[in-house]
Amino acid sequence: MIIKERESTHVYRQKRLFTKEELEAREVLCVHEQPAYCNAACPLKLDTKAMVAAIAEGDFTKARALYEKITPFPHILSAGCEAPCEGKCKLCSLGEGIAVRELEVAAVRWGEASKKRGLLRKKTKKAVLYGMDLFTLFLAGELAKKMYPVTVFCAQEDYAAVIAACTADLPEEAQAASAASLAKMDIKFEWNADPASALAETALKYDLVCASWEVANQVYPGLEIDEAVMVCREKKLITGKTEGVLGAAFGAKKAALSADRLAQNLDPANTRGEEGSVETKLYTNLEGVEPSVRVPCDTKENAMAEAQRCIQCHCDECIKGCAYLQHYNKFPRVLTREIYNNVSIIMGDHMMNKPINACSLCGQCSVLCPNGYDMAEICHMARQNMVSTGKMPLAPHEFALMDMVFSNSEAFLCRKQPGFDTCKYVFFPGCQATAIAPATVRAAYLDLCNRLEGGVALMLGCCGAICDWAGRYEMHENTVKFLNEKMAELGNPTIIAGCPTCKKELSTHENVEILGIWEILEEIGLPEKAKRLDKPIAVHDACGARGDTETQQSIRRIAETLGCIVEDTPYSGDKSPCCGYGGLTQFTNREVAKKMTDKCLERSGLPYLSYCMACRDQFAREGRESMHLLELVYGTSADHCPDISEKRFNRLSLRNELLKDVWKEEVEEVELGFAIDYTPEAIAMMDNRMILKTDVIRVLQNLKETGEAIFDGDSGLCVTRARLGNVTFWVKYTETETGFMVHRAYSHRMNVQTR
Amino acid sequence: MATEKTYYTIDPEGKLTCMKCRVPLHKGKAKFMYLDNGFPVELPVCPKCGFVYVPEELALGKVLSVEKALEDK
Repeated sequence: MIIKERESTHVYRQKRLFTKEELEAREVLCVHEQPAYCNAACPLKLDTKAMVAAIAEGDFTKARALYEKITPFPHILSAGCEAPCEGKCKLCSLGEGIAVRELEVAAVRWGEASKKRGLLRKKTKKAVLYGMDLFTLFLAGELAKKMYPVTVFCAQEDYAAVIAACTADLPEEAQAASAASLAKMDIKFEWNADPASALAETALKYDLVCASWEVANQVYPGLEIDEAVMVCREKKLITGKTEGVLGAAFGAKKAALSADRLAQNLDPANTRGEEGSVETKLYTNLEGVEPSVRVPCDTKENAMAEAQRCIQCHCDECIKGCAYLQHYNKFPRVLTREIYNNVSIIMGDHMMNKPINACSLCGQCSVLCPNGYDMAEICHMARQNMVSTGKMPLAPHEFALMDMVFSNSEAFLCRKQPGFDTCKYVFFPGCQATAIAPATVRAAYLDLCNRLEGGVALMLGCCGAICDWAGRYEMHENTVKFLNEKMAELGNPTIIAGCPTCKKELSTHENVEILGIWEILEEIGLPEKAKRLDKPIAVHDACGARGDTETQQSIRRIAETLGCIVEDTPYSGDKSPCCGYGGLTQFTNREVAKKMTDKCLERSGLPYLSYCMACRDQFAREGRESMHLLELVYGTSADHCPDISEKRFNRLSLRNELLKDVWKEEVEEVELGFAIDYTPEAIAMMDNRMILKTDVIRVLQNLKETGEAIFDGDSGLCVTRARLGNVTFWVKYTETETGFMVHRAYSHRMNVQTR
Repeated sequence: MATEKTYYTIDPEGKLTCMKCRVPLHKGKAKFMYLDNGFPVELPVCPKCGFVYVPEELALGKVLSVEKALEDK
């Protein structure tokens, strides 16, 4: 069978992955970019987290620069801010929260004032302020920052007097510094004026008129203002009553924005964006965070120590556990948007194909994320979408898909237990168990036949997970239909799955009763030859058993019955990461697959006990002592890590041996008529290049039929080739007395012809 | 007449022999086809039977990179 390659790169079909609303509904679940609790609480929108981080590193100047972004008078604000952020600090739930206000004072004290001057040009609309209180002082600073020409009419005689009048409680040093800041600002002061009469006389000369609450009430008694925008619409006067230092600073921010709108002849309420403090949806895991108490910020070092207590609240729950997300270093929200865009490309390079195909589809993210963000579902949908539009290349998945075709054709077996017309059960060990541990599968089947009543049929094949992972939905539908027909031939017995992924996959079929072999073993007891393993082990939970607590517990109970001391590991149970085989990552991106395996193994230095044969194999390949539960139960060891050809050979041999031994059917072996030997280099090369021995055999059979080969005088090797399906395979060989010695093999997908 | 575009050229320089026809391969005109895209090349070709030889370095080098680029189109 040949799987059809996509027709052309010039087919410009495209289907949207989601509607815009669906996309947004998914994206909003990722809270990584939500503001930290302290940032969200600040009505002035101080990047508190970044400021504290800068102090923790000893960079007080950077911290001050961040602080100066939100206020023209850092001394005044830091001295008097009511600091609503402090109550929202996540550390409050453990011990004492960060002393943000003290850190602000420290930043202003030890950080150098920003020397940056705005590059904005002076605005043409002129602003005037009548009377100085804390609100108008902040407002004058804000308007000057916005490059309005500002004139102030005040009763005071100089800068120091203005600061003193506005902030009576401020320490002397801070008063002097604030007065100096005020003096440097590009503000024209009319000293010793009567602001109220000046308002009445001169207001018409200015475009933006602002006044202190006191002055405004003197001139317009009973004045009504819109507090949301700090404007009296009737008089077009910017003013307002504020309380406290933070209130004045926030009021001034709102008023300055109103000034912008009024300067543009817009309603002051027009497009103001989000103002003030906000609610954040951020999630921060406090696991492993120790309670701590405040350090007084009386020296630079102490301020740094206080800032170093900050845990820099953020959410990276998914990325912490997932090698795939770590590899691409993208959070689900960003990744989703890029995948969505990739799928929507009509013409051009699909840069996200690799990430789409590298996800193991294990679903760990949906458990780790506090909002259940499911990247696996998105990658799976993207694969199906691209298959449907003819945009999904076959190359990354073809080997695995052909392997599945092999499992469900040549190596497929479906038989009732001898002597039974109907069977109560059918054992479905799964394609990886038969490929990696055929002796274990054989022992398990014979044991089930012996100890279960009602007959146990056997079905050797693939459950369809492979084509489902590849997004080949039509192939998957056909596989479901094929397996359902075969199950019907057996009388739809209860399926005993040997693999949690098969159990999960087959349980989606209609009218299916399914159990894991572990559940049966717990019921009937373990066989006599079960191997005890009296030592500590780490159980690796299969992604197929995510959400299946009963299976996870059952495995642990059996392991303990066998003497194992099961030690808990981080990310176990539903949080378990993928071993690197799932989702076909092993085929599409070996680098990511290896990182996934390493991520699994870093959780414990103990031997690993798995209940999925693919996991067992992945860990063994990395040199870890690794065993499958059934290997212990049946006292059989899996094959050494079989290469891709051996995996197929194991499946076929198991099928043929069982046919012979259990059903007394002889399978005729096809004689090739010639011998093929391989150099060790060729064997390693073929495994690495995904070239099967059966591919080489077919190329050499083609050579026998056509005689087409060339001789390379440089290497002394003969070279032949054959086009098998979508791939041309080349074999470099020498002839031996009995046949061929294969030295090298390679392949390409392009077709070559003369012209 | 404009010269015909060729993406890649290999001259066998008499080192390769067709075992079926027992003649040396020469530099001949060939074409790689993939996903409805064609690339004219000059490769070692048997002048009699037309066997086109794709050397290992070419298959795993340039051919592979072009395949990958086209697959993501």
